[in-house]
Amino acid sequence: MSVAAPSARRRRRIAPVEILRVAAIVIVCAVVFFPVYWMLLSAIQPTEYSLSYPPPLVPKGFNWAAYAQLFADKPIGRWLVTSIFVALLVVAATLLLVIPAAYALSRLHWTGRSAFGLMLLFTQMMPAAVVVAPVLALYRAFGWTDNLVALALLHTAFVVPLCVWVLKSSFDAIPKEIVEAALIDGCNRLSVLPRIFLPLAKPGLVAVSVIAFFASWNEYLFASTLIVRNELYTASLGIATLMTQLDTPLFVLMAAGVVFSVMPVLFYMAIQRHVLRGLTAGSVKG
Amino acid sequence: MQAATAMIGGEGDVRVRRGVLAGKALPYLLVLPVLVLEAVLILYPIVRGALFSLEGPAGGLDLDNYRFMLADPDFWRMLGHTLVYTLTVVVAILVVALGVALLMNWSFRGRGLVRSILTVPWAIPDVPVAITFVLMLDPTFGVFNRLAGLLPFIGEDRQWLLDPTLAMAAVIIVTVWKGFPFYALVLLAALQNVPDELYDAARVDGAGPLAQFRHVTLPGVRDTIALLAVLAFIFSTQQFTLIWLITGGGPVDATTTLAPAIYLQAFRFYNFGYAGAIAVIGFLVSALSTVAFVVVQRRIASEP
Repeated sequence: MSVAAPSARRRRRIAPVEILRVAAIVIVCAVVFFPVYWMLLSAIQPTEYSLSYPPPLVPKGFNWAAYAQLFADKPIGRWLVTSIFVALLVVAATLLLVIPAAYALSRLHWTGRSAFGLMLLFTQMMPAAVVVAPVLALYRAFGWTDNLVALALLHTAFVVPLCVWVLKSSFDAIPKEIVEAALIDGCNRLSVLPRIFLPLAKPGLVAVSVIAFFASWNEYLFASTLIVRNELYTASLGIATLMTQLDTPLFVLMAAGVVFSVMPVLFYMAIQRHVLRGLTAGSVKG
Repeated sequence: MQAATAMIGGEGDVRVRRGVLAGKALPYLLVLPVLVLEAVLILYPIVRGALFSLEGPAGGLDLDNYRFMLADPDFWRMLGHTLVYTLTVVVAILVVALGVALLMNWSFRGRGLVRSILTVPWAIPDVPVAITFVLMLDPTFGVFNRLAGLLPFIGEDRQWLLDPTLAMAAVIIVTVWKGFPFYALVLLAALQNVPDELYDAARVDGAGPLAQFRHVTLPGVRDTIALLAVLAFIFSTQQFTLIWLITGGGPVDATTTLAPAIYLQAFRFYNFGYAGAIAVIGFLVSALSTVAFVVVQRRIASEP
């Protein structure tokens, strides 16, 4: 994956062009990182500093006691636990559904294979807003509103198409010689899946799990329409609701946002290369 | 374990002649659960939504919702806002991403760190992104106005989210900020796959940096750009959460694009029929995106 850039071989003295280049990269990083910095800044300093004009560019003060107290007053911890619960359900359901489907798409010959692929692509492209009203009607008919398992099922439906592609490209990369050898040694079409494909596609399985977990973790539209009872709020929904409550101190809101963002940022940093390859459905060479 | 007589397929595919699992049903059984889930929770609701839009007041089927929609100036304004938002986001994302990818296509110390920084915006969930930018755009305390105040030609105290043009600019800036790093990293990978020999050959032929860019770099990443353009188009037409939490589609309807428009009709005005009619437009847009995606993908696959 990591290919040396053209100029790597021709090592020279530092040229003015390279200094400009470094400067430009630093500016890009600063622009990209500034909102993140602002989020951290307003999460740690007491609200009166964030809400003064002009706002300070470096943190002024830190009030840990008020912090802990206010954090305890809002059910942020419970929202996070709820989100973890829903997201883990989504990961489990996604893996269960995606592994056989990706295998059938990657290695088996069958009529309708390309039609199935097209259906997946089509559902992947579908904006959630297009189906949100009919889904609500459907869920009301089933009595599935205010039901976290049913919400997880919906999140699964929306993340499965992408995950099938990601895992398929992972399966595609397994050399056919290995599969042939296993078949000669007595495996059949189904038992090669747990014995050969799953162990060799671990990075793909990790990528799929991370994508599924955080697709659910981040999701707001369905959570906000299908979950009404306060005690079932996911973190995404809860924090968005905090935003509209005027009694919430700003630094609590921002700190909740930071806590909510830490996990996805760390995980995505760890597996960014796999996700990049997967998200473009294996169609970008390399 | 059932010992099936295995035969090896031509393209690395697995074929079996006899045995319990040799049945033609296996692939269908493997994909059935996915098919059922997608059919019930995505495909059926699309059809149901389209039926909502065709339901007349008396219960029969008619086209009243569509007649109303096409005669509604708000609908056309919404389409205009969607077009402005989508096209600006797509072009801005691709231009910025290509620029950043070109900057990074060079081995330097700290490239890993830059990659990590570029991962942050698309890893942060929409809700905290919206909260942060609402704070930054605040006319009284916001850092946007403070930074704008440092520039000589921009006045202070802009009402970012109350001015229709600035509100649109604001949601576009946030969307591009959140979106472009992903596209930059994909383009960087594509740039790194352009063979060095092509640059060497161009240099031998006397091509300067600009000519190299036009004749080697651009053709090398053209297909990737096309694919990313489709993805960026989908990313921006699907966008609900950022717009909804930053402006609520306002001021008035200045930032109401397709997704917020459907939501507003369904859940603010409880007009499921009209919401269904707009959703059909959204369905058509995403069906066309799918076709565009497949066309670009086929073209990439058919190349050597």
